[in-house]
Amino acid sequence: MANTLRLYLTCIRNTLEAAMCLQNFPCQEVERHNKPEVELKTSPELLLNPVLICRNEAEKCLIETSINSLRISLKVKQADELENILTKKFLRFLSMRAEAFQVLRRKPVQGYDISFLITNYHYEDMQKHKLIDFIVQFMEDIEKEISELKMSVNTRGRLVATEFLKQFI
Amino acid sequence: MILLQSHSRFLLQTLLNRVQNLEKGVEFDNHWVEFDDVRYHIQVSLKNPHILLLSVSLPTPPPEAIFFGGLPSGAIEAIKAAYGVIVQILDPPRDGFNLTLKLNLSKLPPDEGYKHALLVKIASIRETVLGAPLRVILKQLAARTAASNMDRRFAIVHRPNESFFLVPQVGKMMVMFPMRFKDSIDIVLATSFLQEFVEARRTAGLNNAPSCMWSPSPPLELKGAPAETLSANAGFVTFVIYPRHVEGKKLDRTVWSLSTFHTYVSYHVKCSEGFMHTRMRRRVESLIQALDRAKPELEKSKKTVLSRSFKRMSLKEGRINSDS
Repeated sequence: MANTLRLYLTCIRNTLEAAMCLQNFPCQEVERHNKPEVELKTSPELLLNPVLICRNEAEKCLIETSINSLRISLKVKQADELENILTKKFLRFLSMRAEAFQVLRRKPVQGYDISFLITNYHYEDMQKHKLIDFIVQFMEDIEKEISELKMSVNTRGRLVATEFLKQFI
Repeated sequence: MILLQSHSRFLLQTLLNRVQNLEKGVEFDNHWVEFDDVRYHIQVSLKNPHILLLSVSLPTPPPEAIFFGGLPSGAIEAIKAAYGVIVQILDPPRDGFNLTLKLNLSKLPPDEGYKHALLVKIASIRETVLGAPLRVILKQLAARTAASNMDRRFAIVHRPNESFFLVPQVGKMMVMFPMRFKDSIDIVLATSFLQEFVEARRTAGLNNAPSCMWSPSPPLELKGAPAETLSANAGFVTFVIYPRHVEGKKLDRTVWSLSTFHTYVSYHVKCSEGFMHTRMRRRVESLIQALDRAKPELEKSKKTVLSRSFKRMSLKEGRINSDS
């Protein structure tokens, strides 16, 4: 399992390395505007082919690129109700702090759990390989965090139940 | 604190405080609320400093629970048996409350240990009143005289408009809790907690604990109960209580833990949500640090630039330097 995760992440890392070549590009319709083209999709000539990387049906990553911006959307595995709730809660928690993350999109793209929007300004401010490191670490951390959260809920449940039942002995 | 304590801490503290300064007259009028909509009111007047009025309001009972004059059946007897001469029940109770007690603190026993035990008992008034019907039924189970009410169903209120059910059977008692939660996250967490109860019961150390079952649909014993009592969004929990669980001193603890089972689960669900938030906050911090690492270190580069280049002086600064 860990092996397939490694492959999945390596694939995403390589794709991002190739896809992340952004440049400043002013809006073509409105003067003095500069908008992320991947969001507006006004002119097809500025968009590149989106890449979809799937680990399995439940986990996938969509990378959409344009001339001045890049959008990465992630779908995280949710095996059961509890994982579903934990994922929702955790990612909502992150999205609400999008301001602090800069590259995080406030709302995920439809059909995905969380999205990043990287514009040429972020690209100029930050080092490219470190930015990619961050995205990959983010994905690893989400996975780890959710499984740890789940484990902690179950352990606590067990402890609470044991303490309660011990009273009757 | 994993387990809930049966006495109201504030009430106990107030009582202890009162008893220690019995001579000093104070005016005192306090309201407070506890979980499951139990409200307290305590009043002391300057004129009679050793008299204390304690009023308790209970959660509104659902139609299936039996209440006499605003109190669960057997409550008045239980109060009399527990507190004796110190307590006098006032009838009618204060407006908006189910029960008003007049405590005469000068009648407390002189022995310190006994006095303290009695005050703790008064502070657990909630257990005495709400647990009264449960205690009566479990006592019958302990004495194995429950033949008369076999297969009847008893409803005991534990939350506003909610009750849990007791079904006596030969030599045992089924206790059934319809578990309801308001929040969708609470429902999921509580469901996984309740399944852990079933799992935990199977471990070797808990062989003597009451066996525990969880099911998403109402158990067979509840057939024929009104439909609204059978809607539970977190399933149904059943405990099977045997006489060995209610023998002697265990009775009090069993009554308390059964009547606060829902609160206990809900309390721990909330605790684990709080814990989750702490974890998530920490994780956000570590992720932001990871993002910051991506930014080239501005200050450092500034320093290196400064050390290499010449410092440009303004005309003014130059003059100051030459003066000194």
